Amino acid sequence: MEQTRAGEYDAFVAARWSVLFHLARLLTGGDRHRAEDLLQESLVKLWFVWPKVADEAPEAYVRKVLARAAARSARRRWWGERPVAELPETAAAGDMSATVAERSRLEAALAQLTPRQRAAVVLRYYQDLPDRQVAQTLGCPVGTARSHAARGVARLRRLLADVIEPVG
Amino acid sequence: MDHMEHLTPDGADHLDRPDHFERQLTLLMHGTREQSPFDARRRERLRAGVRTHRRVRAARRAAGSVLAVAGLGLGLFLWPHGHTEDRPSAPRPRPASSPTSVPDAPSSPPVSPSAPPTVPATSLSAPPDEGPATSEPPITSGSSATTGYRPPTATATAGSPDTGTTPPAGARVSETAVASDDRSSPAGPNG
Repeated sequence: MEQTRAGEYDAFVAARWSVLFHLARLLTGGDRHRAEDLLQESLVKLWFVWPKVADEAPEAYVRKVLARAAARSARRRWWGERPVAELPETAAAGDMSATVAERSRLEAALAQLTPRQRAAVVLRYYQDLPDRQVAQTLGCPVGTARSHAARGVARLRRLLADVIEPVG
Repeated sequence: MDHMEHLTPDGADHLDRPDHFERQLTLLMHGTREQSPFDARRRERLRAGVRTHRRVRAARRAAGSVLAVAGLGLGLFLWPHGHTEDRPSAPRPRPASSPTSVPDAPSSPPVSPSAPPTVPATSLSAPPDEGPATSEPPITSGSSATTGYRPPTATATAGSPDTGTTPPAGARVSETAVASDDRSSPAGPNG
């Protein structure tokens, strides 16, 4: 019984690790170590509820735990996020590939958002969730989730204006 | 925009008309995904985290059990003391009747030592073998067994049995009772 449980759990984690890790990176604004810690905590919690959620939606459970933990841990002082007027790093041409440069720019822009705004934007535009599920995942009213996402996108428009060029 | 086409059925409430920036943002988020395999190092770290979490849960459960047992023991330790000390005591015994009415009511024997003249009678009629240790015996002149218990003045006057200066204890109580009755009467000389 325990072996079966461990086998199914390992198979799920191995299959979804890359997607979940990218989600964690976006939720943390590109902090790789913090993303790994958050994903580790979420997967440990998943292990203890695996018999309950294995047949339903284990990825939704991990997503909820990740999003809430990211919003909660980002308020801790030792993470030390400080908003600045200008992006701290820009992609240097020639030393990175275009994909890596875009990812770095995107993560730097996401880091400028508040944790709730970042979580709402990521859940809406990366996880493709409707407003109701975003609100349910974050544990807030639908209007609040919609407001967070709208403000986050509005700020990203300014921050990523040179990356995503408007349609002329 | 094949990617956006599969979004719209479920997310119709917010993605029905995404603008150019939102579409590009979606593509950017999906396109920048880095392939990171679940390697042996991460697997071992995850298992170590599970073991640590399991130990923490077991420690919390043990601590909770210890606290519960300690609380229960403390409650049981404090419970009997509080129960016995908080119980109200029985009322003190009161005299069956007032001292002045005792001679007229022979059917109810007095209980209090401060009453009535029948108490000395009882002590006087006690058997002699009870001895002086239990009750003060009546003084009988010429009795060598009781001289040791007498005060020295009683020994000096033991030769005159009719004029004994030390009355029996019962007699003293009786006289005191009568005197107190006389003092408590409103028709006293002083009063």
